[in-house]
Amino acid sequence: MLEQFLLGLGVVMQPEVLVYAFAGVFIGQVIGVLPGIGAITAISLLLPVTFHLDATTSIIMLAGIYYGSQYGGSIASILLNLPGTPSSVVTCLEGYPLARSGRAGMALFTAALSSFLGGMIGVAIVVLAAIPMTTIALKFGAPEYTMLVVLGLMAASMVGTGSHLRALAMVLVGVALGLVGADATTGYYRYVAMPELADGISLVSLAMGLFGVSEVIRNAAARAQSKVQPQIRMRDIFPSRSEARTLPGPILRGAGIGSFFGALPGTGAAIASFMAYAVEKRFSRVPKRFGTGHLPGLAAPESSNNAAAQTGFIPTLTLGVPGDAVMALMIGALILNGIIPGPRLMVDQPTLFWGVIASFFVGNIILLLINIPLIRLWVLMLRVPYQKLYPVIVIMICVGVYSHRTSVIDVVLTLVFGILGYLMKNYRFEPAPVLLGFVLGPLLEDNFRRAMLIYRGDFTIFVTRPICTVLFTCTVLLIAFSIYSSISQRRRMAAAATDGPASTP
Amino acid sequence: MMQETGQMRAGLFDRVVGGIVLVLFGIAMLAIGWDYPMGRVNQMGPGFVPLSIGVIICLLSVAIFWIDLRDETISSAPALDWRGLIFVSAAILVFAGLVEFAGLLPSMFLAVVVSKLADRTNRPLGILVYAGLATLAGWLLFLVVLELPIPAFWR
Amino acid sequence: MKRNLLTALPLVLALALPAAAQDSYPDRSVRIVHGFGAGGNADTVSRILAEAMTEGLGQPVVVESRPGAGGTVASGYVANADADGYTLQLMVGGHTVAAGLYNSLPYDSLNDFTFLSIIGQFPFFIAARAGEYDSLEAVIAAATADPGSIRIGHSGVGSTQHLTGELLDLMTDADFLHVPYAGGAAAATAVMGGEVDILIDTGTAIFGQAAAGVFDVLAVTAAERWPDNPDVPTVSETVAPGFNVVSWTGLGAPDGLPDNVVEVLTAEIARVMALDDVRGRIAALGASPVGSSSAEFQELVETQIKTWTEVIETAGVERR
Repeated sequence: MLEQFLLGLGVVMQPEVLVYAFAGVFIGQVIGVLPGIGAITAISLLLPVTFHLDATTSIIMLAGIYYGSQYGGSIASILLNLPGTPSSVVTCLEGYPLARSGRAGMALFTAALSSFLGGMIGVAIVVLAAIPMTTIALKFGAPEYTMLVVLGLMAASMVGTGSHLRALAMVLVGVALGLVGADATTGYYRYVAMPELADGISLVSLAMGLFGVSEVIRNAAARAQSKVQPQIRMRDIFPSRSEARTLPGPILRGAGIGSFFGALPGTGAAIASFMAYAVEKRFSRVPKRFGTGHLPGLAAPESSNNAAAQTGFIPTLTLGVPGDAVMALMIGALILNGIIPGPRLMVDQPTLFWGVIASFFVGNIILLLINIPLIRLWVLMLRVPYQKLYPVIVIMICVGVYSHRTSVIDVVLTLVFGILGYLMKNYRFEPAPVLLGFVLGPLLEDNFRRAMLIYRGDFTIFVTRPICTVLFTCTVLLIAFSIYSSISQRRRMAAAATDGPASTP
Repeated sequence: MMQETGQMRAGLFDRVVGGIVLVLFGIAMLAIGWDYPMGRVNQMGPGFVPLSIGVIICLLSVAIFWIDLRDETISSAPALDWRGLIFVSAAILVFAGLVEFAGLLPSMFLAVVVSKLADRTNRPLGILVYAGLATLAGWLLFLVVLELPIPAFWR
Repeated sequence: MKRNLLTALPLVLALALPAAAQDSYPDRSVRIVHGFGAGGNADTVSRILAEAMTEGLGQPVVVESRPGAGGTVASGYVANADADGYTLQLMVGGHTVAAGLYNSLPYDSLNDFTFLSIIGQFPFFIAARAGEYDSLEAVIAAATADPGSIRIGHSGVGSTQHLTGELLDLMTDADFLHVPYAGGAAAATAVMGGEVDILIDTGTAIFGQAAAGVFDVLAVTAAERWPDNPDVPTVSETVAPGFNVVSWTGLGAPDGLPDNVVEVLTAEIARVMALDDVRGRIAALGASPVGSSSAEFQELVETQIKTWTEVIETAGVERR
């Protein structure tokens, strides 16, 4: 394996290839900062450029855009609470409170470092275990996916700071919103109040509404100026020694979770980052600090979604089957270059296969190197008072949402979700579980109904198939755990009502 | 900041409104989805999942309603920020209403102007200069650099 | 109100300079609209054409994706756009399926469009996991003997792949279980994992796997053997005489395009479709690059609308 990896490294280290790798990650990073204008837009804009490049260079550049945008996505989430993708929603949860309390630099640094480490671990898994991971992925049929999604939804209800019951209700509201549009199995129109909704509610408008718009509404007219970021020195962006000591665990666990979910076609980074966050919160000694700007809660999902972004290439490269829309684009670029992707890619095109993988390695290093100097620049932006900044945020949201599907209705819906998100927060409902419910709901229904179709209505498959048994047990344990903890928490609250919230000033 | 403002005990309305809205959401879901075909277990129709989810939401929201009603420790919801709500909403609606007809630049300009009104400290000239600069930046970013397929002006 | 005012301005200009406007098509950028996600096949074909046509027309040709409702959002948009040659549509075979599948389309799939030229035609291939069945006859025999035991994975209800499977069902004694997946990639994975048995999809989705010995290619859906793969028998010669499914991409525009504009466009498309570069890229996407006359294109659309409407009715596919 190592030998082939070095062969790939040789490919990437050619100056011309390196330039395109750099261009890819840089463009991805920049585009990723703009929420709503995702990797897909960037890749399809650059597709004609790849007509004039050879296959290896094209894929290296396009892949760079993809994982580069994962880095960029966390920046808007941390600084402005603007998530463009479901995985950056989790980044908002800890990153934005950190930025609000004047520690944006440290949040960005932690995010960049965790992303880098997660990405590197992901690459290592791709190099060492691509084939076994593929074998596992192929064992996931409809019943397995159904149970996996159930587990993910339960994890989502652990994400909020309030009661699990309320969070679970929000997950289901998300699932309900995900039902809008043509039913994936029969094409039947459900809750389609107007023709523009035939394809469902756009994820971008839901995420930007619940998070971005609601935050703008909350702060636009605030009399009190938000906390101005202090002038930062380089050393302010590094976590203190005691803080740094809390990070390796979350980063490693996050990368492990991310690597696993990334390799399953169709689930990807979103479920991985929620799961990583939920796991950290569950096993933390200070679960109360989650949601208030807790570094491990930022590090784990960041590491996780970047690991997933790398292992997401496993099914694409080993099976020739794209796991998501971005991967499909890359397969498209391969096809345009006359290479038919498939399991033989690794054997027939070793320089392409290993070149691409080595480029992940190099690309992650480039990303870390360009990110750290940029942190000061980003933080500088936060020195502009919110009152001067928010109109620009409003148009960024509007243009981002509109350009996503060229739909005016999407823009209006973003506003509706913004108002909803604003009111929800006032009445102690969390927006984050809505998002995951929305993303996973269609997967749940699709796989559940397919499982019932294939196994002729036999419910026992959800427990008896080996992988299902494991997933089912995990779900039950998670529920038991949360019931136990909420009961013991209530007892403790009853015992000592003096315990104040552990929020930062 | 928000935690401190809401230390007052919540009134009845503040405590139960969440649960009630959620129940209404569940009921609306059931009502609209009532006619969707249910299908059979091994060939489920499009109605099966919406109705199940609707029922669960209703049950959960009744539980939430009940818990909130009896919970005396809830602090009242912060007052609504009408100024922010109105002008930010208006700005987004202005953008949505104009972008297809007037093009990207005019709608960006007006959206910035309207949203800027939410801020109490503004003067008219300042707003226009600011909006002009923001529109220029938007033009550079979205149309020149990213080449988004949105017309700059009406056509 | 505002809209009238704004659209009136160019109109006045156009009236003032009729000759100039007539002769100088195109004098601004031309859009190719399509109804699918950025980066899909339709998007890629659009971009290939846009890049080549930009040179010939001397004006930028830009691609605009208006995804939604199986491409019908884009078709509705184009049908209602000004017929001035500045709005074109990259159409796909799904356009003819939609005519039968949707209860109320905001346009007439045939009469609201000018069909300029076919761009590419491609058949579907029927494949199974390697070593499971040696021929399509064997599959049909198994599916006839034990109804519902053979599962066909397809890329979504109402996709051409799905309806091709339904047509196979109708034209033979076999009774398949049609299992929908979210896209062809997921269906292909399911065949590899053993969840379903048969895959019907384009050559690009299948031949990479076949070369690696993962899939056996059993048949092609075209009436004649496909020139690129002469070893693959047709469905027609094996189990269902007369079976013929060939999908396509083509370039269209709103109905009522001025003749001179049609001339400019058809000439340009013909030029572009003769370029090796363009042909090579379209062929790489698994389609045979064919330019055509406007009439041939129109006839193809007409026949397919009839076929698919019939299949949808007979197979009992839910209309939406």
